[in-house]
Amino acid sequence: MKHIKIFSIMLILAVMASATAFSQSKITVKGSDTMVILAQRWAELYMKNNPQTTIQVTGGGSGVGITALINGTTDICNASRPMKQTEIEKLKARYNTLGVEIPCAKDGVTIFLNEANKVTELTLKQISDIYTAKIRNWKELGGVDAEIRLYGRENSSGTYTYLHDEVVKADYASTVQSLPGTAAVVNAVKKDVNGIGYGGAAYAVGVKYAKVKKDESSTGYVPSAETIANNQYPITRYLYMYLRNRPTGETKKYIDWILGVEGQRVVTEIGYFPVK
Amino acid sequence: MKKLLAIGIFTVISIYGYSQKQVIDSLKEVIGNHEGKLNALDDRVLVNEGDLAKLNKIKVSGYIQAQWESYGADLEKTNGYSNTFYIRRARIKFTYEAADGVKFVLQPDFSTGNLALKDAYTVVNLPKLKNLTLWVGQMNRPNYDVEYSSSSRELLERARVTTTIYPGEREIGAKLEYNGIKIPVLLQVMMMNGNFTGTQAKDVDSRKDVMARFVYSVKLPAAGVGIDFGANHYFGSNLAKTNKYVKNSDGTLDSLNNAWRYLDKHWTGGEIRIYADVLGGMSIKGEYVAGINSVASTVASTATMAQKKASPNLYNNFAGCYITLVKNIGAKNQAVVRYDYYDPNTKLSGDAAGNAIYYKTWAFAWQYYLNDNIRLTAQYTMPKNETNASNPSDIKDNLFTIRVQAKF
Repeated sequence: MKHIKIFSIMLILAVMASATAFSQSKITVKGSDTMVILAQRWAELYMKNNPQTTIQVTGGGSGVGITALINGTTDICNASRPMKQTEIEKLKARYNTLGVEIPCAKDGVTIFLNEANKVTELTLKQISDIYTAKIRNWKELGGVDAEIRLYGRENSSGTYTYLHDEVVKADYASTVQSLPGTAAVVNAVKKDVNGIGYGGAAYAVGVKYAKVKKDESSTGYVPSAETIANNQYPITRYLYMYLRNRPTGETKKYIDWILGVEGQRVVTEIGYFPVK
Repeated sequence: MKKLLAIGIFTVISIYGYSQKQVIDSLKEVIGNHEGKLNALDDRVLVNEGDLAKLNKIKVSGYIQAQWESYGADLEKTNGYSNTFYIRRARIKFTYEAADGVKFVLQPDFSTGNLALKDAYTVVNLPKLKNLTLWVGQMNRPNYDVEYSSSSRELLERARVTTTIYPGEREIGAKLEYNGIKIPVLLQVMMMNGNFTGTQAKDVDSRKDVMARFVYSVKLPAAGVGIDFGANHYFGSNLAKTNKYVKNSDGTLDSLNNAWRYLDKHWTGGEIRIYADVLGGMSIKGEYVAGINSVASTVASTATMAQKKASPNLYNNFAGCYITLVKNIGAKNQAVVRYDYYDPNTKLSGDAAGNAIYYKTWAFAWQYYLNDNIRLTAQYTMPKNETNASNPSDIKDNLFTIRVQAKF
């Protein structure tokens, strides 16, 4: 009898708490700086047509977004890399779910060069060697005799992690200047004849793309709708939205809109590539 | 006159040119000075950045668990008080990532009257084997209930079977861990001293214990379900140094050829965890373990045969399990129910079991996450023991606890 009483009290509390939990009026989106302009554009357009919904978008990097998702301070996390197993374990421990992964756009991690740079093409190994400082001079790549200046992202960035895990595969050189956001990387390379940087394709204004090839014998490609769609561009990745639970209500409506025709048109307008 | 005018103009221009040159030279000097200062500043920034990068490699985290406990009548008699405030854990964890794939971890516990080193280990990613890590030092034994951090666990304490067969949770040894990414598999093999309870710095015998664990994860994203299942095996021994007599699980007395022989201890466990996204997260976690544990006699080697027979080494066939249901309610609340069972001697029951009686324990908890750092827990634990001649009724050892956990 005593057990039944305790269980009944817990059940009532559970029902009361769940009733308060599902009253959602605002959607917060936090995470990837690569995706921030895309997410802001999505939010603007969606709010224009759905004025009853408020969508608050902030950047900070994929790592920041994932931490916010785990801590419960954001509804949607934008990430330019998949969640790590350790992060999923934290979600499991706190929310008892594996999280929900929604690929919402495709991107090619773009290698930015100054427009005056004679080098036009790099292999994946060369990119790795450049960012680990094994190659230090443009002369070694067929360019001018000048020291390579490295620009990159902070370690909370998904692009930083993605390039590290998929291309560099070792510690970044200590000479990489960490900059807050892809726009800052592009700006630095634009001003520096001997600079090199990386980031999402949507930001490349005033710099040139390096063609990237898998190895010496492969063909080099720049990220484009075609080379991304058919996976010819070697550093192609998905951009994700992560949620703690399967979306419901206004959040579901918003995500369905993003994955629909209008949302995916915005992806192309911004300079990324649609998922389908 | 014209000549004079020309000389005058020439002189003025020369003086003006000279003064302009002086200004330019002076400006060049100023720029040179500033350039030098900027270069020096640049160098200092680089040095500072290097120092900051080193500091960024150190991560400090920790938690404090302060609680109030209220005891059942029999526990009150044993303790001499019916309730108390208590610092259960007060830990700081220092992690230093020396390089990519190299990590040092140090975690002391500062709870009142219990200063203890909990973790002290190094993790190294083996070169070219990205997912394989080598752990060396004092660390958790490879078991889910053991490795699941006390700061994250939904119930205040681990299941009785876990705390009995893995006392203190930690061991000193070396562990190889493979954490697959493309194939979602976790493999752990640990070689350890065995019998570590948190105090002895070195092994007490020459043989090492070995534990292996395997977990496979299945994801069904469309259904919002994830399942982890696996098995583990422990193979070890205890050294009977002073006494050749052994009492088996069934109560019979055997004799080893002589003392200084090893007593087996080995058990096998199965584990499953199901995570489901049903109106918020929900999980069911269970583990079953059974095998033989042994206890070496501590009787003096100079004791008489009768004394040695009265305090023999022990073999215990044991079995235990737990099943926990966790339901998230919104983002801040969590309801938890656990049933756990532990029988220290499955071969004997009733009066013959003496004090080796089984326990069936229900635990109910409610958790409220105030924010990222603070968690409040109320838990009611109801152990129910086997009754026999030695324990004629259920011991009144229910426990109600309210805990505040601050984590950073």
